[in-house]
Amino acid sequence: MSFFGFDTTGPGRHNPAAAGFSQAHNPFAGLSNREDEGDALEFEETYDGLGDQLEETGDAFNDDTFGDTAGLDSAPVGKDFDFFGSTAKVANAFEEEHVRFARQQPAVKAAPPAPQPGPSHVMLQHSAFQSTSYGYAPQPTAHKPVRTGYEKYSNEPVAELQVDAALWGVAPKKPPQPSPAAAPAAQPVPAAASRKVLSLEEVEAQMRAQAKKAAQHATPSPAPQPQAPPPMHYDQAYEYQQHAQAHLPQQADHLRHDQAFAPGHAQQHVTILQRPHANQVPSPQPPTQPSGHRQQPSGSMQPTKILQNPNRLSGDAARIGVRQHPTPTMPAAHPAHPVHRQQNSFSRQPQIITHPSQLAQLSEEEKAAYLEQEAKRAKRNHKIFLMSRDNGIMTPQDKSFVTRIQLQQLVSATGNPNEHGTDESLAEDFYYQVHSQIQGSQRQHPNQPLNNFAQTYLFQTGSRQGGMRRHHRGPENHVQRMEQQVQRAVEAAKNKPKNKQLVIEGSLGKISFSNAKTPKPLLNIKRAENTSEANRPGSAHKHVHHGGDRKSELRSIERIYSTLMQMEDHDRNMPPPPSNDADNEAIQKFVTWNSEAQLLNNKLWESLRVHDHQDNGHVHPFIALMSYTKGMKAMQRITRHLTHEQRTTILTLIVVNLDSLEVVRNAQVTPDATQLNAAMRENVELFSVAVMSTLFTILNELDLDLVAGVLGLVCTRNVDVIGKSRIGASMLTMILSRAEIIKHGGGGSEQAWRAWDMTHTQFFDLIEPTLPHMFPGPVTAGDDIYVWQLLAALGIGASPDQQQRLVLAVKDRVMDTVALSKTLPADMAAQRLQNVNLFMRSIGLDVELLQ
Amino acid sequence: MAEARDEGSAVSEPLDLVRLLLDEVVCVKLRGDRELKGRLHAYDSHCNLVLGDVEETIYVVDEEDDEETVSKKSEMLFVRGDSVVLISPHARTF
Repeated sequence: MSFFGFDTTGPGRHNPAAAGFSQAHNPFAGLSNREDEGDALEFEETYDGLGDQLEETGDAFNDDTFGDTAGLDSAPVGKDFDFFGSTAKVANAFEEEHVRFARQQPAVKAAPPAPQPGPSHVMLQHSAFQSTSYGYAPQPTAHKPVRTGYEKYSNEPVAELQVDAALWGVAPKKPPQPSPAAAPAAQPVPAAASRKVLSLEEVEAQMRAQAKKAAQHATPSPAPQPQAPPPMHYDQAYEYQQHAQAHLPQQADHLRHDQAFAPGHAQQHVTILQRPHANQVPSPQPPTQPSGHRQQPSGSMQPTKILQNPNRLSGDAARIGVRQHPTPTMPAAHPAHPVHRQQNSFSRQPQIITHPSQLAQLSEEEKAAYLEQEAKRAKRNHKIFLMSRDNGIMTPQDKSFVTRIQLQQLVSATGNPNEHGTDESLAEDFYYQVHSQIQGSQRQHPNQPLNNFAQTYLFQTGSRQGGMRRHHRGPENHVQRMEQQVQRAVEAAKNKPKNKQLVIEGSLGKISFSNAKTPKPLLNIKRAENTSEANRPGSAHKHVHHGGDRKSELRSIERIYSTLMQMEDHDRNMPPPPSNDADNEAIQKFVTWNSEAQLLNNKLWESLRVHDHQDNGHVHPFIALMSYTKGMKAMQRITRHLTHEQRTTILTLIVVNLDSLEVVRNAQVTPDATQLNAAMRENVELFSVAVMSTLFTILNELDLDLVAGVLGLVCTRNVDVIGKSRIGASMLTMILSRAEIIKHGGGGSEQAWRAWDMTHTQFFDLIEPTLPHMFPGPVTAGDDIYVWQLLAALGIGASPDQQQRLVLAVKDRVMDTVALSKTLPADMAAQRLQNVNLFMRSIGLDVELLQ
Repeated sequence: MAEARDEGSAVSEPLDLVRLLLDEVVCVKLRGDRELKGRLHAYDSHCNLVLGDVEETIYVVDEEDDEETVSKKSEMLFVRGDSVVLISPHARTF
């Protein structure tokens, strides 16, 4: 008689085609799915109530049903069955048997009797497993974190050990291998192909299967069971392991069960159902066991669930408590509830060797290897624990925010390699860029290599990592991602202010947004575009400004600066010169750039108002610009962007208006001691630093005839005013010494020299009356070196007659200075005499002669 | 004609006039009875100013209606825009 009234005699009791039985799929796939369902384990859903239908009193024939186990009672059975390993060996045979059987008995397929209750019980069992394992997640080793998510790693050694069936073959009580025909009955294991990456559950399942297989080997199966359902065996394995370890007294009984029930699924379910009950009933008397099973299978489930849930909910504290629970090393322990729980989790451990007795069975080598593995794992887990302490402090949003800031700073500091030469790279670093350009920097056009920082942090990273092939993609992607991110950020920033005005329906006005860069327009005046201005260079002559119009002068200066900045910006964007004639695009680029540069140059030239006509009674506009400090300061920058011709024009213009220059006109030296005011002194100083040096450079490019021309222009002006100013005198010195340099260099044609001599004579005649009055203040004032320089320059180029006149003109000053030097401290006296000597030596004399 | 266009291009907002005063000596009137005289180095849309060689004058009125002024000199001064009442070009000192 069957327990459930099933026909247990026939080997083909259930449909081989039924899903989950004949298919060698992973039986624990469902189990892992279950895990996803999370906390709520719906026992009412998973349990079909079949247990309630058990006949509590109908256990009279249990022995018949379960078979006679008397012969095996005395057989000592080890607790380390190699269910899995041994079963795996005959997996092929099992499959063959299955196919063969299916072919032989096609008629039986039509009868689908037993399996139905199977799956649901399996489910029940799984959920029970689930809940227990949640409550008592693997804990035998104290340092092993509870479900850290790193289980995969900790399982690695287990997988190896499991494959090694020989390890389990050394079990002392291992029974002889069943015949291939009988083996399929114990074949719960799916084909090797279905064994993929092992999850925790899978590993546990395999362990159980191993244990079970060993047990089944100990009990010869009565009939071939080709369609043995995989899930059943895991449960069964669990059963066996549990009982073997915790309920030694019951071993015989269970083995008997196994002998009888292993073939039948229904019977196996009974075994499964009895598990929780057996856990709770500490009286392990074999005869009463079956009835006990039947009494309250569902009821036995409920307490388990209740007990488990609190554990689960209480979280880590409960787990830690359980972890610290003494590990169940006593095989003969009473199956009291806590111990049993402990064993549940224990038996479900991914580690096969968690039990000391198991360890004892290993060879020394294996033991050492195992201990080493264990130590490694402990170390790793500790590290993970240490690292995970700070977990969760920052949200992913925080992290990405910080990353964004860092990326933006990095890119703005280095310049995006893709965007070099564009405005973005200048926006953050304008002064450095301008400075480096003015200093003749290393990066004047985009094709030059990036700076060190950019190379190191943007390119080198990729290439250096590229050496390690495996990681090649990682950093590459990172850089790409970073660039993309930055580009996105830049684009977003660009797009943001697009909608500059908000018109609310029904309102009378518009609301305009503003930010730091584009402040809210306070006056809505249309700005006429400057671009049209550049297109009418010819009209520049029509610009007639009043020389005294301070505002227009200031405006011109501002325009000059704007244009200068545009030009400097434009220079930075200079495309590389086309490498060959075929590169049309590059040529086109270059031509475009050049024409734009020309436009800007015209604009600058126009802003300088060099060609503006001079109003009567007013200084020339350009000269007026030179009376502003910012106008002077611009000179150096201006000349960099001008052509040679334009520079010469400027020099000429300044020379022509030399006596109109503010620093000349308003800085006349006086015989008395009155000093120039502070502002003018500053202006003079600035002019000599900013403008004179520029003019000196320009002048040094000129040939003799042009220098003669310049000197001729000076002669047309008020030489007296020029000579009596520091700037004017310096300018004259510059012109004269340039001619002298050309003479020493052997330059200049005969004709040019004749012209120069003529001009020089004329100039000498003009300046002679001024010579005694050029000195700033009385002789005690000092600071007259520039005058002596001019006299020296005059003296070198002078004829003997002119030298005579020179000496006569400045004789008083020379004598006074020599006299004064005798009263001065030695170093100051030497200085003064040296200044005088500049002049004296130029005419072949020396102050020593006068002393 | 051209003159008018130039005017338009140079002055489209009040601060364009301030721009003309860059690097010039300016007088700045501040809240709290203070005045500054110095060279304008920089400004922005909030009228934050950077002045060089500044002379600050504070007008103090006593209870007895005695007016006195306190004068300070600074080499460089940053002025927060919200205290600026007025910026005017200073008469040229030379």
